[in-house]
Amino acid sequence: MPKARSSIITIAKYTLMDQVRQKSFIIMFVMCALFLLLVRNCSQGGFMVNGQTLDNEAVVRVVLKAVFHINAAGTMFLAALFSMRVFKRDRDEGMQSCILSKPITRWQYVAGKILGLLVLSVAFMFILHSIVFIMFSVNLKVVMPEYLIASLLCSFNLLFVVVAVLLFSLLMPDIIAFLCVTGIGIVSFVADGIAAVSRSPMGQAMMQQSDSTSDLSLWKVIYYLWPKLSGIQQAASSMFSREGFQGFLSIYPFINILIYSLILGALLFWRFRHEDII
Amino acid sequence: MMNEDKYTLLMIELNAVTKQYGSFTAVDNISFSVQTGEYFALLGPNGAGKTTIVKMLLDFTQPTSGSLSINSVPSTQAASRTAIGYLAENHHIPPHLSGWQYLQRCAELLNINRSDATDQCRRIVKQIGIEGRENTKTNTYSKGMIQRLGMGAALLGNPKLLLLDEPTAGLDPIGIIEIRQLLESLKNQGMTIFLNSHLLSEVEKICDNAAIIHQGRLLVKDNIAALIKNGDTLEDVFVRLVKG
Repeated sequence: MPKARSSIITIAKYTLMDQVRQKSFIIMFVMCALFLLLVRNCSQGGFMVNGQTLDNEAVVRVVLKAVFHINAAGTMFLAALFSMRVFKRDRDEGMQSCILSKPITRWQYVAGKILGLLVLSVAFMFILHSIVFIMFSVNLKVVMPEYLIASLLCSFNLLFVVVAVLLFSLLMPDIIAFLCVTGIGIVSFVADGIAAVSRSPMGQAMMQQSDSTSDLSLWKVIYYLWPKLSGIQQAASSMFSREGFQGFLSIYPFINILIYSLILGALLFWRFRHEDII
Repeated sequence: MMNEDKYTLLMIELNAVTKQYGSFTAVDNISFSVQTGEYFALLGPNGAGKTTIVKMLLDFTQPTSGSLSINSVPSTQAASRTAIGYLAENHHIPPHLSGWQYLQRCAELLNINRSDATDQCRRIVKQIGIEGRENTKTNTYSKGMIQRLGMGAALLGNPKLLLLDEPTAGLDPIGIIEIRQLLESLKNQGMTIFLNSHLLSEVEKICDNAAIIHQGRLLVKDNIAALIKNGDTLEDVFVRLVKG
């Protein structure tokens, strides 16, 4: 078992190193740094509306929440980009046959790939969130350690994205695999947006007027079974945005994504076991 | 006692192996064995099923029926690849790595400790003749150098078996001679070599035994000296058998 663990860690290490030296990774990192420079001004404090000074902490929480969601969603997108060509690149550069001609099992190879991509994506997101956290903490003297914990909770989403893209890239062209997972994410965010509107007084009034209960219950089932990528971000951000813990509703997205990740992971291992190595 | 002898002597064993891709039969009910320390060549025209056999030995693809084993361990188990060096046909190396980095990476994947890995890599760099170029990126290497580097990586960890799939494919005559000299230099190290090739003159010079396959079927397996009796060359024998 220690030998298996060391093989997985070695493969993960090289996956990470190979990704970091990709031009696309460097470009993405520069773009994220530019984005952080743009939000830097929000951390200066002294916000005024109609001549009245606003409560710094309240504004900071709103800005932090927005930046948190953009960072988390953006990193999911990047994780999908990082993952989509991993198997193909290894195949083309001869590393797949090089690794698997050694006493390394296929599950160790796949586990190493998942671990490498996950560590890279989580580190990427955590560093961006940490920079924002430090910027706001230093300038406004408002320290919210929950922000960093919330960032780590979003790793569930990254696990889902990495596993899903790796699996889909074995079944379809890389770009389609990337688009499929991106589509799943977009649908999740849009569905949560619609659900939020439907829970508002205006939405409730509209639903009472229309008489389509059976259709709605079907959509509700799909809504709850759909990968709750947006739900995890909402639940995580509730930790620092004073929305409060909502019991099962806060935990459900994590259970949902964990189950999806386990199922997709099992399918990925099974599919790769039957893959012909070129 | 008989069984014990058999298992210590047999490095590779194929038992009624068949591989089908849809309706196409790439390997058709082939059985043979290769003994420890043997220099063995698997010969056949393009598409005969040579690479498929190597891939099945490495568990890169599963046989439709039959079984393969290396050192009496079924090839489906990772343990069968414990002491194997493999050089693929048209060997590829990540272009951003230097030769040294590639060798180090392979050594780490074999769980060779750092100091041993450095020693082995240094020895191999000398052995494959890329001294002075080991720290330059492999995208500046010639095809011959890439093949030799692949061969060097296959030699890491002192393997007992070398699986070489067309090691001289695409090489110029000098590259072919370099690979042959490298293989000859390994001859007194007790290594078993399984060589896939259609360069018959090279095989004749290097190997002890050979099998000829055509359209997935085994035509003959014998000692090379026995195959080329009556003044024939291996090429004559090959052409006669393949053309029927």
